Amino acid sequence: MANIEPITGRYVRVPYEGEDYRVFYEEAGQGIPLVCLHTAGTDTREWRHQLCDIDINSDFRVIALDLPRHGKSIPPQGWWKEEYKLTAKFYSEFLMAFCKELELDNPVIMGSSMGGNICLHLARNFSSDLRALIAIEACDYSPGWWLDWLWNPHVHGGEACATSVYGLMAPQSPEEYRRETWWYYSQSGPGIFKGDLYFYSVDHDFREMAEQLSGDIPVYFMTGVYDFACTPEMTEKTARKVKNSECIIMEEIGHFPMCENPVTFKKYLMPVLAKIRQTG
Amino acid sequence: MAAFDTGWMERWQALVNQDSVTKIIGRHLTTDVLLAFGDTAYVVSFVGGTIPQVLSNIGPESTYAFALRGPAETWAKFIQPVPPPMYNDIWAMAHPLHGRLQIEGDVKVMWQNLRAFTWTLDLMRNVQE
Repeated sequence: MANIEPITGRYVRVPYEGEDYRVFYEEAGQGIPLVCLHTAGTDTREWRHQLCDIDINSDFRVIALDLPRHGKSIPPQGWWKEEYKLTAKFYSEFLMAFCKELELDNPVIMGSSMGGNICLHLARNFSSDLRALIAIEACDYSPGWWLDWLWNPHVHGGEACATSVYGLMAPQSPEEYRRETWWYYSQSGPGIFKGDLYFYSVDHDFREMAEQLSGDIPVYFMTGVYDFACTPEMTEKTARKVKNSECIIMEEIGHFPMCENPVTFKKYLMPVLAKIRQTG
Repeated sequence: MAAFDTGWMERWQALVNQDSVTKIIGRHLTTDVLLAFGDTAYVVSFVGGTIPQVLSNIGPESTYAFALRGPAETWAKFIQPVPPPMYNDIWAMAHPLHGRLQIEGDVKVMWQNLRAFTWTLDLMRNVQE
């Protein structure tokens, strides 16, 4: 009998600001919608373990999408005539447009890295449409990553982008999964990782806004101790500003918990999902 | 014999030259790099992913493409079998948030060969003290 995973991949058209985006997403399970956001320059594959985990997908409808220009989601018309720079406005509004098209009822958003940082913007502008936010490897300001070397014709983008993030993973994480994450990073389009990092390191500056969040939606911050881009201290400092938040520091894991070490990540994630389930 | 002395560097050089992966991913790694462990510095010559020469007498006439300079204490953490957080990677140590390692010079060749270069540095964790 074939060993077929429970993941289903589909495409949905998402209208946003006059563009008809063709978006790829994967999903598995039933229950509370749990929308998972990939990190910069990668795609849904980062969430394959959680999508397949029966302990998660028995209570949650786990959905992971490829942002436009990532994975199997094609870029918008005219992409070849502009430099890609992801903004908080596009990212947050597009995610909500995606949720609307899938008719998701008060979904939970769980994202890592730039997917974690965008949770702060979602909390600010869309909290009434969301159930909870799980902001992994997130903080209010994460400078230092918008680098020209990541998009330079003298440098192999795949190798350079992938290797630049390799050290963000913990040495305790299985090498097999660290190399798999490297593999994902080696495969984004030219300038896409750097363009995402425009949001991550430039457009995302929430330092003056974190304390202004209303606190009407729970925010669960989760950061690994080996994350040198968003250190535990940076997350803790942000979490102290955000009302109705919880800060979880994860030992022996780095910047890509869901794919570098799904077993260790699960130990920290399940209590968070249990709380979300209990609060409805 | 201590970490970062000439004997230690020779043993690291031998590890790199014997390493089968470096031969595959380092075919285009040809450059001269200054590695400074505190006050102890070497110019390491890479040719096609091998290290034919390590110079320890650094002077005004020494040339190299780029340099990695950090306190010996920083490098000592980097070479631990399980390095502590923020010390497990040269970019972790050099990132502006941390500044424990200085990367200077013509770094284009480093970015072009980042996978092979960091692979060879990671082999430092296998050097017998």
